[in-house]
Amino acid sequence: MTGISEVSFAAAETEDQPRIRRGPLPYILLAVGTLVILTGAWIGLFVAPAETFQGNTQRIMYIHVPTAWAAMLALMFAFVSSFAYLFNGKWAWDARLEASIEIGTLLALLLCIQGSIWAKPTWGVWWDWDPRLTTSAVMVFAFAGILALRKFVEEPGRRATWSAVATIVAFIDVPVVYFSVNWWNSLHQTQSTVGNIAPAFRVPLYTSAIGFVILLTGLIMLRARTSEIRLSEEIAPPLEPVASVGGIRS
Amino acid sequence: MTGTVTGGWEFVAAAYGITIFVVGFYTVRAILGYRAALRKVSPTSGETS
Repeated sequence: MTGISEVSFAAAETEDQPRIRRGPLPYILLAVGTLVILTGAWIGLFVAPAETFQGNTQRIMYIHVPTAWAAMLALMFAFVSSFAYLFNGKWAWDARLEASIEIGTLLALLLCIQGSIWAKPTWGVWWDWDPRLTTSAVMVFAFAGILALRKFVEEPGRRATWSAVATIVAFIDVPVVYFSVNWWNSLHQTQSTVGNIAPAFRVPLYTSAIGFVILLTGLIMLRARTSEIRLSEEIAPPLEPVASVGGIRS
Repeated sequence: MTGTVTGGWEFVAAAYGITIFVVGFYTVRAILGYRAALRKVSPTSGETS
């Protein structure tokens, strides 16, 4: 049976080298994603009606729920990237792993902040240690820990392997976050699905969600490109200037 | 009506404001980081080669 350590250093043994990727696609995705999110937000803020019981505070849903979906998608991509790196050892997957964890963690943190702002007027408290909120906090700290791990480990192969394994372990919490409202008695409402959202609320919610997914794709592509360039420098650092010999610099 | 949340626009503004700030700041940082990394490895080449 092949051990993880044997698989993980495959990158060093093969001829795979980090690539320098160019092209305008990430910029296009960022621009389109931003426009779609702004359109969704505009409809949610000024066109959609206020909810019967929560009033205007329910409008937070049009960014809170898409942020949650985008965060979970990013972390799911990190999970896939981890397996891909461990099995084929290509540096591109390590770069994608770093990008998706960083963005997923940021969105998960933003999700908690948005939720806290929504909780105050509706629940009367900024935070409650209920299952959904607690598992979400665990998710943020677990993936933030993996980002910290990547900062501390200098050797690229070891860093990629350790963070890939840690991501697979940490990802166990992501479905727990999603299903926590079904599994336990939670203050948090159940998942927002087509079946439990009024038609008037669906258009801004789905518009905003599509925008977040497009923006997320552009950000992961751009951030992964940066990681791959940094990896290429780590693995094959620029040549030092040749020392002068006899006063003549070659 | 009993049990209804009235007002609430300040919370909506705070949630949207923080989201725009965080996502906007990260997006700009990602773009600048990529361009800086690209310049470092190939100072003379164009970005969209």
